[in-house]
Amino acid sequence: MARYGMALNYKNCINCRACESACKEENGVLLLKDHYRIWVGVKEAEGQFPNISIASQTYHPSQCQHCENAPCQQVCPTNATYYSKDGMVMVDPTKCILCTYCINACPYDARYVDNRTNTVDKCTFCSDTRLANGETTTACQATCPTKVRVFGDLDDPNSEISVLLANKEYRQVKEHLGTKPKLFYIL
Amino acid sequence: MKVEISRRRFLQGSVAMSIAGGVSLSSSSIMASAATPAKKIGNEDKKVATLCEMCVNKCAAIAHVRNGVVEKLDPNPLFPKSRNMLCARGNSGIQALYDPDRLKYPLIRDGEKGSGKFKRVSWDEAYAYINEKLTKILEEEKDNRSTVAFCAGEGIAEHTFKSFFTMFGSSHFLNHASLCLATTVSGYSLTIGGYGQADLDNAKYVIMAGANRAEAIVTPDTMDFFKRTNGRGAKLITVDPRFTNTAAKSDKWLAINVGTDLAFVLALTYVAIKEERYNKAFVENYFNGFDAYKEHILSNNYTPEWAEKITGIKAADIYQVSRDFMANAPQAIYYQGRRTTWSKNDFQLRRAQAIFSALGGGVDVKGGICFGKTLPLIEHDAVAPMYAQAKPRIEKDEAAVVGGSGSWVAFRNMVLEGRSPYPVRALFNYKHNPMQNMPNNKKTEEFLKKLDLVVTIDTMPSDTVMLSDVILPECTYLERTDPVVSYGGIEPSIAQRNKVIDPMFESKPVMDIMRGLSAKLSKPLFEITKKYDEDVQSAIEDDGEDKVYADFDLTKPFAHDQAELNAHAVEKYEGAADILKEKGVFYPNMNEYFKKVGVNDYEYYPETKRAYSVRNNKFATPSGKIECSVPALAKKGIDAMPVWKSEYEMAIPAGKFRFITGRHAQFTQSGTSNNRMLLNLVPQNYAWINKRVAEKLGIKFGDKLEVSSKVGKTTIKAYPTEKIGPDTLFFVHGFGVYSKALTLGYNNGGNDAAIIEDGIEPMHGSTCLHDTIVEIRKV
Repeated sequence: MARYGMALNYKNCINCRACESACKEENGVLLLKDHYRIWVGVKEAEGQFPNISIASQTYHPSQCQHCENAPCQQVCPTNATYYSKDGMVMVDPTKCILCTYCINACPYDARYVDNRTNTVDKCTFCSDTRLANGETTTACQATCPTKVRVFGDLDDPNSEISVLLANKEYRQVKEHLGTKPKLFYIL
Repeated sequence: MKVEISRRRFLQGSVAMSIAGGVSLSSSSIMASAATPAKKIGNEDKKVATLCEMCVNKCAAIAHVRNGVVEKLDPNPLFPKSRNMLCARGNSGIQALYDPDRLKYPLIRDGEKGSGKFKRVSWDEAYAYINEKLTKILEEEKDNRSTVAFCAGEGIAEHTFKSFFTMFGSSHFLNHASLCLATTVSGYSLTIGGYGQADLDNAKYVIMAGANRAEAIVTPDTMDFFKRTNGRGAKLITVDPRFTNTAAKSDKWLAINVGTDLAFVLALTYVAIKEERYNKAFVENYFNGFDAYKEHILSNNYTPEWAEKITGIKAADIYQVSRDFMANAPQAIYYQGRRTTWSKNDFQLRRAQAIFSALGGGVDVKGGICFGKTLPLIEHDAVAPMYAQAKPRIEKDEAAVVGGSGSWVAFRNMVLEGRSPYPVRALFNYKHNPMQNMPNNKKTEEFLKKLDLVVTIDTMPSDTVMLSDVILPECTYLERTDPVVSYGGIEPSIAQRNKVIDPMFESKPVMDIMRGLSAKLSKPLFEITKKYDEDVQSAIEDDGEDKVYADFDLTKPFAHDQAELNAHAVEKYEGAADILKEKGVFYPNMNEYFKKVGVNDYEYYPETKRAYSVRNNKFATPSGKIECSVPALAKKGIDAMPVWKSEYEMAIPAGKFRFITGRHAQFTQSGTSNNRMLLNLVPQNYAWINKRVAEKLGIKFGDKLEVSSKVGKTTIKAYPTEKIGPDTLFFVHGFGVYSKALTLGYNNGGNDAAIIEDGIEPMHGSTCLHDTIVEIRKV
């Protein structure tokens, strides 16, 4: 039993998108335009050449936030979306009827429709492809050149993520919605 | 509605792949319509340590193989150079391996050159065909071996191909150097005694000019540095005509006018010298010719105010950067840069950078430019035979110093324009794509058509492959064991690419190709040498033919198995051969030194064992000091000290643009233009045009533009943005492929090789890729 989350040193991110390709290879996500479990959000630079505000162009690696109070789980009529024992938000494709309530309910735009199965798919923290095989981390963390991500157990006070969050300032996305997201952006 | 097939499904059986926009080649068997049925091997589940070859960095990877299929590539944390990572391209190696457009069988041209028509042949037939053509050429050219040229793309197995070239005895070897880094490597080497490794793990202040490390990834620089920018220990000043991802990570971005960096560096130097902020002790002890340089800089009045007019960078910024640089020195680096083929003054620019860097004392010191150590390997190069009839390089006088890798553009143009002292008639090409990597591709096409024999070894049907006479399919990097390599630096190590799966189709590693080809060619070519080479004739009279032939035996370098050669190369290091096979990486005391210190962090060497300072204040230059002046160059018409000349300034006519090219992190030059994964991330390239200019011209995002120059044109969609100035146009390299055999890359986006003019700089005959004026038209 664990409570998995992820801290992101997002200032390290150079928008190289290694995480996106690693995720697709690891989890067999289709190579289509609108198919992705994770992405790098880019905020474009503001200003007029040559007076560009450097700080305005930022990169925010993002994916399912594995909320502890997940709106997607609340609205799912068939209980296809559920919490795993390790605190991850998961989709059971055998129960999903593609009503897309969850897609509309998710404030993070983290879900998409998998064309193969006609069910909803999203980030699983690689739980079936990596964690189940004894790996200790996700494909995106493992591959990242500048080591943006720290994945780990929030219930273990000695885990690197717990120590990091205890010592650094961070913010969560759309905290005010009360979703209790488990992605933490280190400031 | 197109059918897309996931990797997993396609690997489970052989499913016909249909890719939208694909044009299959009618008469040739380059294209197979079905995907590769993977070779099932029981319930095998293994991990193989290998090295990536999706770009030049060669990161260590672990390939996960199930039932003979490579399912995943993960980073191998053991390699100090790649620091436990794989980038987007590294992850996409699987798509290169299972690309349905791969070259599968040997092919011989079966129609006009450029028609794209080829017929499938056996390896023996291909070798026999090459033998027939080559013996005819050498017979007619009286054994002038230099009539056959060799070119190669960068890679570990380039070494193997080069052995063939060495034995063959031609003067012409060409590679990417003159299209890439020749000027910066020699600029830094002649000045501070080596190109060095910028210690971005410890530098406090770094100027990156035109170096785009966030997008053009270099290991370990990229990984080390961007963990420390944004107020976390390292200040970054980005100097670039466009606002790159690197600029977005910097403390200051200076939008410089294209091609004026030298004026900027001279002004930085002026401030440091005038205000006496340089490292006096270092300069006194380790500079050669400083007084003359000081006089040169001050008397020419290279002031920031002077540079402002040329560069467009405010004088106040130049003062500030120079002062801050020296305040942080010696932990301050003017970053060397990599692809430094910009303009006519490239070589002088790199010299000026190196001198400015050295003024702070940041050479061979922690946080500066380091030289590091190497772990030597046992070399086993064959001794090159001497061919009396082989003539010298045709382009040797086209620049001051034409090195062993030639000046590609000068060479091509001389052959094409009939300016060579003797005919060049054949080209052997290993994984190199001159059609895309050299400016003015119309000329490259004519050059390739003019040659009697073009033999290309490659994995993909590139634009150059389609203009070849014989195509020999190499297997991809995941299907072969390559020569073991030693990587010097602050934390040196040895790494080895191990074969992950057997070669697919009829493809072979270049080692096997060279072995087969040399066996076919060796004797017939020697017969020609015997006929025309008097030295050989008299040697045979003295020693007998067998003994003389032994020296000329082309097959010599390929007699051994690659794994055997690798084991021999690392014999000095106990147990290394087995460790390299198993773990892919070796360095002495690895077991003791290598530590995991966090979920993302590894330590390779303890701090005290890292090779930050190795020179003992003796630099590898003629004087043993930092060379301010290189008088030997003056004899060759190259300024001994960097000088700004008015000819370096290029006026941009109203309504036109100066074109620059560059990189992004998802593509490697032109080698990834057909990679499904990478195209999924970046479907095509766009022309960056200033937003306000675009508005005036009525150009919106996605509008098709025809970009044209004196030499050609290309079509590309527009991306209006404020990240580029009003008189500059940019798009990324590697798109707009002409080869219809690359179903995804064909005609996708704009091709910069079609529009860039082919000027060269005077030092090494390197290309000037940023000296082209273009105009645009909405189509």
